[in-house]
Amino acid sequence: MALLNSILYDTVYHSAPIILCVIGGIFAYKANVLNIALEGMMLNGAFVSVLVMYFTGNIFLALSSAILTTLIWGLIFSYFGVSGSGNVIVIGLGINFIVPAIAKFTLNMMGVSNISLQNISVSDFKIHIPIIDSIDIVGSILSGHTFITYLAFIGIIIMSVIMYQTKFGIYVRVVGENEEAAISLGLKTKLYKYLAILLGALCAGLAGINLSLERMCMYTNDMTAGRGFIAIAAIYCGGGKPLESSLYAILFGISRALAVNLSINAGPMAGIFDTIPYIIMVSVLATVSYMKFKNVRVRGYTF
Amino acid sequence: MRNNNETLKHIINSLIPVILAFALGAIIILFTGNNPLYAYWILLKKSLFTSKGFLDTLHYASPLILTGLAIAVTFKANVYNMGVEGQMLLGGFFAGLVGSSISVGNPFIEKFICIIVAIICGMAFAMIPAILKVKCNVNEMVVTLMLNYGVVKVLEFLTTGVFKDKSAGYVATPTINDIAMFSRFGKSRITAFFVIVIIVLIVMYFIMKKTKLGYEITAIGKNPEFAEACGMNVGKKIMVIMLLSGALSGMAGAGWMLSDQFKYTLSFSGNPGLGWDGMLVALLGGHTPIGILVASIFYAALKTGSDSINMYTSVPKEIVALIQGIMILFLAVKFLKEKK
Amino acid sequence: MKSIIQTINLTKKFGDFVANNNISLDIKEGEIRCIVGENGAGKSTLMNMLYGLVAPSSGKILIRGEEVKMTNPLTAIGVGIGMVHQHFKLVSSLTVYENILLGVEIKKKNSPLIDKKEEIKKVAKMIEDNHLQLNPTDKIEDISIGERQRVEILKMLYRNVDILILDEPTAVLTPKEVDDLIATLKLLKEQGKTIIVITHKLREVMELADSITVLKHGNVVGDVLKQDTDEKEIARMMVGRDVCLTVQNDRKHTVEKQVVYQVDNLNVLNDDGKKVINNVSFKVNKGEIFGIAGVEGNGQSELIKVLTGLMEAESGNVILYGKNVTNRWPKELRKEGIGIIPEDRYATGLCREMSVSDNCIAGYHDNKEILKYGLYNSKKIDEIRDKYIDEFDIRLGDKNGVIGNLSGGNAQKVIIARELASKPKILMACQPTRGVDIGSIEFIHNEIIKFRDQGNTVILVSSELSEIMSLSDRVIVMYKGQITGEISPTEVSTVEIGLLMAGIKGENKHEK
Repeated sequence: MALLNSILYDTVYHSAPIILCVIGGIFAYKANVLNIALEGMMLNGAFVSVLVMYFTGNIFLALSSAILTTLIWGLIFSYFGVSGSGNVIVIGLGINFIVPAIAKFTLNMMGVSNISLQNISVSDFKIHIPIIDSIDIVGSILSGHTFITYLAFIGIIIMSVIMYQTKFGIYVRVVGENEEAAISLGLKTKLYKYLAILLGALCAGLAGINLSLERMCMYTNDMTAGRGFIAIAAIYCGGGKPLESSLYAILFGISRALAVNLSINAGPMAGIFDTIPYIIMVSVLATVSYMKFKNVRVRGYTF
Repeated sequence: MRNNNETLKHIINSLIPVILAFALGAIIILFTGNNPLYAYWILLKKSLFTSKGFLDTLHYASPLILTGLAIAVTFKANVYNMGVEGQMLLGGFFAGLVGSSISVGNPFIEKFICIIVAIICGMAFAMIPAILKVKCNVNEMVVTLMLNYGVVKVLEFLTTGVFKDKSAGYVATPTINDIAMFSRFGKSRITAFFVIVIIVLIVMYFIMKKTKLGYEITAIGKNPEFAEACGMNVGKKIMVIMLLSGALSGMAGAGWMLSDQFKYTLSFSGNPGLGWDGMLVALLGGHTPIGILVASIFYAALKTGSDSINMYTSVPKEIVALIQGIMILFLAVKFLKEKK
Repeated sequence: MKSIIQTINLTKKFGDFVANNNISLDIKEGEIRCIVGENGAGKSTLMNMLYGLVAPSSGKILIRGEEVKMTNPLTAIGVGIGMVHQHFKLVSSLTVYENILLGVEIKKKNSPLIDKKEEIKKVAKMIEDNHLQLNPTDKIEDISIGERQRVEILKMLYRNVDILILDEPTAVLTPKEVDDLIATLKLLKEQGKTIIVITHKLREVMELADSITVLKHGNVVGDVLKQDTDEKEIARMMVGRDVCLTVQNDRKHTVEKQVVYQVDNLNVLNDDGKKVINNVSFKVNKGEIFGIAGVEGNGQSELIKVLTGLMEAESGNVILYGKNVTNRWPKELRKEGIGIIPEDRYATGLCREMSVSDNCIAGYHDNKEILKYGLYNSKKIDEIRDKYIDEFDIRLGDKNGVIGNLSGGNAQKVIIARELASKPKILMACQPTRGVDIGSIEFIHNEIIKFRDQGNTVILVSSELSEIMSLSDRVIVMYKGQITGEISPTEVSTVEIGLLMAGIKGENKHEK
């Protein structure tokens, strides 16, 4: 029972950053810009928030600088990709290279191998929801998470509304599906691409803060470990729809929670459990894609 | 066929990102309180302007040429095999295992077996995204990016557990047999592996320029619909291209194992790994074999130099990774329009 | 009448190429103006300038006497100009009402959210007011081409435009839908709208226009009132010489009664599982040109995709010279002796970014003649290219350049040269003259007839009725994935084919 509880709690815990990346990333996906820089942007959020917190001890400064710098990455991505019409995959890779390099460079300058915060503790971030907390099992699963974790789940609804009920959402989809239609009505297509990418950056930044500052109060190199790519896989699986894509993100959360909890009891085999989430995501992606592809009669591949 | 003007544009388009990256890098070095010109001089002096250093650089360039080619054949066809790093690691790991556990007596056959095993491993691993792409239309990029993490974790597990060399003081697989090792030419680090790489490079040059496969890779990359209509059976070709890429990556891993590392450690491929470096090399070299040769020598010089930079200045060696990332970012944009 | 649009010396250059040269127009309020000209005469460029999609190199645009700088479509809409493009600018996953209100969505009071109910109500009222048939909540991907055009028109009317530009509006419509459209446009004129129609179909020009402007090579070569002219005169102005509108095609040769190509009960599904080819069967004899007619989007594209190996059929057989070639791949089909002129030149026929030489060998690139010991003989390839250029009178600036630099007609000739060079038994010619200048059209038509006269077989798919009628020996008509009838072009009137194209089967005729 304790194990199950722990798995469920961890599911919520591990899903949150992926969900954030997903609900931010779907806009760029719908606008037909593949943003594989989510990974780097997330790492940037993780790194900057902890770094600023370490030096200033000011939580607001830490949060705002992390978000601001991630948005700058979003701007760089948009400028090169949208205004400069560069290859977005290469740009994404570039950012995914630069961010960890900056972090390592800085850590090296500081002469440390990771940053561990002393001026704040993990428990400061945990929010215990009054009523739910007192309910037996539900409380132990749903309560005691951090602010951004809750934000991630609420964000699914917010992003669904933005995607389907607002002008911005429609325009982003139109830009992705038929850019000429948008141009012929005078919509500023570049603007919506920029905004879609920036929204993704914002969410990735929050995911990073969640990962490092909120949950662990520390930063280690390469701590995002491919979560950004997993988010992209989830977006693909869910066809860019907020709710469906988020469900795939939660699926990753479950597999990660399973891996973590089972490896505690697995002894020397523990190492192999780390691969489970990746294998599950690849399998799911393959299955979902196959279901879509099997009805396609036209030969050939689009890239 | 491309005329001189286009080639010139091409070279300029590769040079501008390099210059910009170094300029930005210089600013960062200034912030660390060092003289950027001195730092760059340190970076390149030994590795390019002394004969031993240059030969060492060629040695370090060898696996990069292979991973660069591995990336180039797929990128040129608009297939994004981001799994070169994983394929290379897998190849290196199993070449190391074979090289340490099997001894056939003949040094040529021994090396040959190791390399073949690595090539098979690389190809087998490349098959997964290839089959998923062709049969299920899964985005190969997302799959390879994720599988890379999987491979790293699996190899980490195998190295720390089953195949750990108990006698070593740190996490590593057993050292390969002497006969599996490529011996150095004279004082420098360069070995016969470099010669093999150059032969592969020449073969790849002909494949890309003169053969049906090269023609088809170009056509698929430029217009897959057209390629299909011209009877190229794009699905099958994607498999072939991925297998070729996997083979080249596996071979890179084997070569690195047999000529430099001799055992698999968790830092076998360095940071960023040889597969990722290969990507920069391929982009910088414009996906052409000659470009890749030049780019990998240049980049190997940088990488070797990064050790000296740590020794003689207080600039962290990560400056090289940083410059690499900035280069990739700028390489995404074409500064001069190419007709191609 | 007052002038509503005037252009003064409007010029547009793309590099060295002058698309529009000193165009001066004067369009009166409340008239229907037809702008005619050949492909590439500069009609679309002119309209794109009026609509703010393309910036003029020099010259002025005056709307109701005042100069307006058209910087983007919003400026145009702002001064009351709306445009219905030839290729509809609709978003297929969105509904009719969402498309009509795109960019001018109605929001709920004091909220950033969209008021969908109100939107649907408004659109439904508009549809009723204009006597159109449409369901506001249908998705675009589910409605017909004619309906989509109505959505485009409503989209503009919603924006209160009083000048409506339509670019080639009839190209994709059935004859009945064309009549409906003409009625709608005349109704709009009565309401006081000014209408500009770009077209190259002279029949409609004579039915619709109050006045006609003829463009040629980017210049205005004629500006006449309808009552002062006739079809022939306009045709002469368009081409600059007398054109014989019919092809020299003596059908004297004997068609052998030998079936060389046969399609049996072919069924094809699209990605959504809908039947796009429904039980299609036909037989083609040796030595004939077999035409497949129909309004675009009635399954011809899918049929051709299946017959050329680019799409898989669900069931049915395709038999070539007694051999079953169903669902074979393009390479095998070419080996079996099928030459393919694809529908979309730059998607499946040529690779724009590759050199002329590379394009000359595409599809036949494993020919032993050019590929020895696994290596290409580039000299030989260049020879082949030069031979094609010579024999087919292909005009190009730089023969070492990329094929994207060639004009439509010359690019098409490269394909035809390539496909005929392999001496196929059957030629699949799909829209062989689309977007091709008149000179090349004549050349291509003659090549096709010559090929047939040598005793070969041609399957011709075209949405240009005149092309089908003048070339074919026998014609089938497709409607919604089915064959609605077979006719002989020498015996049947255009009206009858029009009925078949609209899905009304000519059963009476068959009984006779």
